[in-house]
Amino acid sequence: MELNSTPRLAPGCRLHPTDSVLLIPEGTLNLTGPSREILSMLDGKRTVSDVVTALVQQYEDVDEKEIGEDVLSLLNRLQQRGVLRVGA
Amino acid sequence: MTSPAAISTPRSPLSLIAEVTHRCPLHCLYCSNPLEMQRAEAELTTEDWTRVFKQAAEMGFLHLHLTGGEPLARRDLPELIRAGREAGLYVNMITSGVGMTEERLAGLVEAGLEHLQLSFQDIEEASANHIAGTRAHAIKLALVPVLKRYPLAFTINLVVHRMNLDHLEEFIALAEDLHPDRLEIAHVQYYGWALKNRALLMPTEEQVERSIPIVEAAKERLRGKIHVEAVFPDYFGSFPKACVGGWGRQMMLIDPAGQALPCHSAAVIPGMVFDNVREHDLEWIWKCSSAFNRFRGDDWMSPTCQACPRKEKDFGGCRCQAFLMTGDPNAIDPVCSLSPDHDLLKDLRVSKPEVLPIWRG
Repeated sequence: MELNSTPRLAPGCRLHPTDSVLLIPEGTLNLTGPSREILSMLDGKRTVSDVVTALVQQYEDVDEKEIGEDVLSLLNRLQQRGVLRVGA
Repeated sequence: MTSPAAISTPRSPLSLIAEVTHRCPLHCLYCSNPLEMQRAEAELTTEDWTRVFKQAAEMGFLHLHLTGGEPLARRDLPELIRAGREAGLYVNMITSGVGMTEERLAGLVEAGLEHLQLSFQDIEEASANHIAGTRAHAIKLALVPVLKRYPLAFTINLVVHRMNLDHLEEFIALAEDLHPDRLEIAHVQYYGWALKNRALLMPTEEQVERSIPIVEAAKERLRGKIHVEAVFPDYFGSFPKACVGGWGRQMMLIDPAGQALPCHSAAVIPGMVFDNVREHDLEWIWKCSSAFNRFRGDDWMSPTCQACPRKEKDFGGCRCQAFLMTGDPNAIDPVCSLSPDHDLLKDLRVSKPEVLPIWRG
């Protein structure tokens, strides 16, 4: 996963309509902090950078580089778990 | 004497297992369905299931598992899937693929199917068909490339036992070539018809030990590509499994005729009375049904289990297994090394002379 990757949720994975929960085959992943918001932005077109920019605009006094690292770390973990697909 | 605190009350349930029919074109040697199956005439209607799914979603259930039997035997399957999705549930279907066409699949996906599970019985066609009791292997293989064209999650289940565990590496390779999103390697659990064939299917301790590094290597190799989950047979453990996440804590199963059960095989336990979704709503059943309350908490437990801190983890193990092996549904699960009947398991772990399969009609 890179900043210019365009990830999206894998087939059969979707956000619960109201709760901070990702519904996946045979289970759920609890989403903490801004994770739900991050995942809701992934559509296979937006890049990871786009998501970071949106978060930086929304939250004041945050370090863009730090946020970028946090987002990449989250997305990499979810990719390893098989619930994200990554485009170029 | 100090004893551990009482077991916490159940959170809202998670999984609704809808056995929409017991009709099935397969006759697997390890079938987990009850020995006495519900007839087609007794099956719930589309309207019944739609009401049940709505009630389940309102109670906080998240996942709906459509299973059977073969769910494709129901002509109203797309309506059932749509009803589950409209209620707000995540819809999974467990199928043999027998009876599936691309047209039907497209209809199921359009109705909202999100995850499909297909099991394989062995690597070679003849052997796989022998275990399934019908010619299903080629049909399953042919279905996979079609499935892969549709936007849904796809799991392959490898059902393992004594007859196929020695070629687990090749079995995993077969699954890998089919590119599922998930791969489950699940040992047969000895209930229902599988218990009848236990002497035929139960692997030896050596087989199980040889299989462990193979599974671990597959998990490592496939990380990030295929999510691998393995269910080991509790017959080889020292502590029992938290069967169905604890009795009446996470799961409810509705059989084809509408009876609500706390687990697949609860009917084997004498004196169980199951309430029916035709007469009660799901919330009443979850809270008040005697079947669901029977093994909640720790009042029913032996003093050994009551005093054991593991009761918070395994909730006393499997009640059906305790009954089937000892004749007492309140007994310590014999898988537990603290059970006075634990030697029963030791006897089962050694290899048996060749025995013949018993087929389900």
